[in-house]
Amino acid sequence: MVKPTKGLLSIGTIAALGVLAACGTSSPGTSSSSGASGIAGCRGTITVATDLPLTGGDRTDGPFPQLAAQLAVTQANAHHLLGGCTLKYISKDDSSVLKNGHDPATGATNIAALATDATVMGVIGPFNSSVALAEIPKVSQAHLALISPSNTSPCLTVVVAVCSDPTIKIDTASLYPGPHTYFRVIATDLQQSEILAHIAAKVLNLTTAYVLDDQEAYGRGLSLLFAKFFTADGGKVVGTASLPGSTTTFTTQVSLAKSEGAKLIFFGGTTGNGCGLVRRDMGSAGLTIPLLGGDGCEDTKFISDANSGANTSEAEGSYATSAPDASKLPSSAAFFSQYASAYSSMAAPYNDGTKEPYTAYGYDAMNVLLQAIRSVLVSNGGQPPADSQTFRDKVVAALRATQYDGALGHTSFDPNGDTLNTGFTLYKVTSGAFAAVNTYAVDASGNVTVKS
Amino acid sequence: MSEQSGTPAAPPASFGGADRSGSAMLVDQSGLGSRQARKGGVVSTVGPIFRAANGWVSRYFASLLVIMIVLAIALTGVQHGASLMGEQIKNALVLGAIYALVAIGYTMVYGIIELINFAHGDVFTASGFYAVFIASVLHLDSLATGSFGGLLLALAIVFPLSMLAAGITGVVIEFVAYRRLRDAPRLAPLITAIGVSFLIEGILLVFEGPDNVTTHQASWINGQAFAIGGVSIGYTDLFVVGMALLLMFALGTFVRRTRLGKAMRSTAQDRTAALLCGININRTISATFFIGSALAAAAAIIYSINYGVLKWNIGFHLGIIAFTAAVLGGIGNIVGAGVGGFLIGMIYVFGGSIFGGEWSESLIFAVLVLILTFRPVGLFGVEVTTRA
Repeated sequence: MVKPTKGLLSIGTIAALGVLAACGTSSPGTSSSSGASGIAGCRGTITVATDLPLTGGDRTDGPFPQLAAQLAVTQANAHHLLGGCTLKYISKDDSSVLKNGHDPATGATNIAALATDATVMGVIGPFNSSVALAEIPKVSQAHLALISPSNTSPCLTVVVAVCSDPTIKIDTASLYPGPHTYFRVIATDLQQSEILAHIAAKVLNLTTAYVLDDQEAYGRGLSLLFAKFFTADGGKVVGTASLPGSTTTFTTQVSLAKSEGAKLIFFGGTTGNGCGLVRRDMGSAGLTIPLLGGDGCEDTKFISDANSGANTSEAEGSYATSAPDASKLPSSAAFFSQYASAYSSMAAPYNDGTKEPYTAYGYDAMNVLLQAIRSVLVSNGGQPPADSQTFRDKVVAALRATQYDGALGHTSFDPNGDTLNTGFTLYKVTSGAFAAVNTYAVDASGNVTVKS
Repeated sequence: MSEQSGTPAAPPASFGGADRSGSAMLVDQSGLGSRQARKGGVVSTVGPIFRAANGWVSRYFASLLVIMIVLAIALTGVQHGASLMGEQIKNALVLGAIYALVAIGYTMVYGIIELINFAHGDVFTASGFYAVFIASVLHLDSLATGSFGGLLLALAIVFPLSMLAAGITGVVIEFVAYRRLRDAPRLAPLITAIGVSFLIEGILLVFEGPDNVTTHQASWINGQAFAIGGVSIGYTDLFVVGMALLLMFALGTFVRRTRLGKAMRSTAQDRTAALLCGININRTISATFFIGSALAAAAAIIYSINYGVLKWNIGFHLGIIAFTAAVLGGIGNIVGAGVGGFLIGMIYVFGGSIFGGEWSESLIFAVLVLILTFRPVGLFGVEVTTRA
């Protein structure tokens, strides 16, 4: 939005979104098609897509935001959000059998296929930051908007100290050979680790930590940032270990943590890569200190893994932060009831959107994209721009100006495409389930406060 | 058994004891020493030093490895105190016991038909799930956690049944996938083995799902048995190591003392000659697969009782590490596989303790490369008397 020639467009976009926001609060069924935008005469096909891991080890994660995004498309079609234009939806699965879950190579292939389809105006995904690394350069070259519901690696958009760590090695600038077309509706690990460190040092008052990670971009990044902020908060890291996701026993590290007198074990990584197993091995070693993890640990698998050892209630008292429980937000109530009625015939747990933390993020991401597409149509005289590249560029420009009130509250993006809607909830395992303790927010200068 | 050509009179530094001039040639011919000699000493100044170092390393490989492990243990003790050292030794023994039992399956099959049975690790996983199935059908969980007698009864039920099922799996795999390829080029059964491995993993993925499966068997045995110098030894730890040693001892006795064991040994030595002596080769090979797979089942139950979770693909990874243990001990050598398993457990734990967990697996596979380079016959050489 620095070029003066585009100023007019942005004013138009905001105006159009203002109209839409008004629609959102009333019954959208009647108002959007009869809007003064004149897009009823829109001709052509516009495609939106999702690229999420739907099978293998991630089948308990990806389908929720996918179904939510699909619901957004179904609703948009029902309400003729894009006027007379045909809105098509493609779902891609970035899992592979080889990786038994999300696979960057599959993700890149999916994006390449979507990018060559001139009707595709935006993609919701990917779920994992490692996949995003493979996909961002492709969408940047294709000028295609990519909105992630769940990528939290800060290095995808901003350069922070840990990006150059040998195990992360993300050259943020090189991810964008073309324009910056990547957005996310979730807060990043930079904010999450600041909050985690604050929780460890200031809320739980634990001053020494043993820090583990799973060697993946997400887990390693979270660990390094946690260690940095934890030290800044007056804590001391007494040992670190970085283990591959295939690790099935952590007894060596648990023994080391015990011997170093750690008051806390921090795990940066996912449950699939051993978060729950660390807790299990703490139980077998008789180490009764808390385990703290990020959003990769906050799931039911963590509890069953942790309780699989000799102590069948070992998970109790473990902590993990995660993005705020969207199902508890007043703004999300309507969405979750719509989700439940739309997918009532699906098998459990997919019939209940509250079973996974990213469901509402998938919904808002798709809606943000659809609103941006609509605003482009409106400002272009009700028709899609003739040239698909111009169309894509305009969608990205419209996304930058997003002011959207959805299930997650108010979403807008900073110049890096990161959402300005931040906040993480601390969960503690109580009676066999993660229970929310408090939600924390961090401001631009690093002050952590409890969010009401 | 690894002396270089220059010192034929030097006494063999074999770890296992048996020296055979035939196997000594194995190392000598492929070793660096003879190649340098053939070249006519182009690098005349560096050559002899390098050759001597090479010979020295290959001769004392076992001692060097053991010294390094002992140093690592001592270093851990000095750096972090005796209690961590003790705890890590315990961790290493527990891990090593499982590797050892799996390694024996690799080594037995290799010994008898010279095939690296890559499906063995997946037989391990499958038999773990057999045990879970048997335990749930017969309600063994409540029996085992009820009383000590109940636990013994549960173990006495789950071990033989799972081992029987796993043994049958092994025999079927051999019959279907390997038997017809017995005289095919060496690569053909190897490829089939990898195929069978992926097949089993695929089936397990469909039936058991992609996530960790909680087996509930970790609650069978718990509690602290005793403590030495601040290191608490759980009943589970004693069970894991004790059971592994017991099974290995039983296998050793079986191979040495029984007619079938004798048939196995002779088939391993010379299949044609064994056939001429009236040994039923097919039956002997089937028995080998049965026993190897049954031991994998025992390892899987022990794993499950210790760790409490199974996953569709754990066997492949664990299998490759166990295979390294088998190579370390000298592939084809049962005692070697057992000792190799414990040594690999030590390398895994103390490597991770000293250099950081990220180095554990790198160290193990570095040992694999080193052993194949300097001492391809393994620590124990090819001791034909126990090879089966």
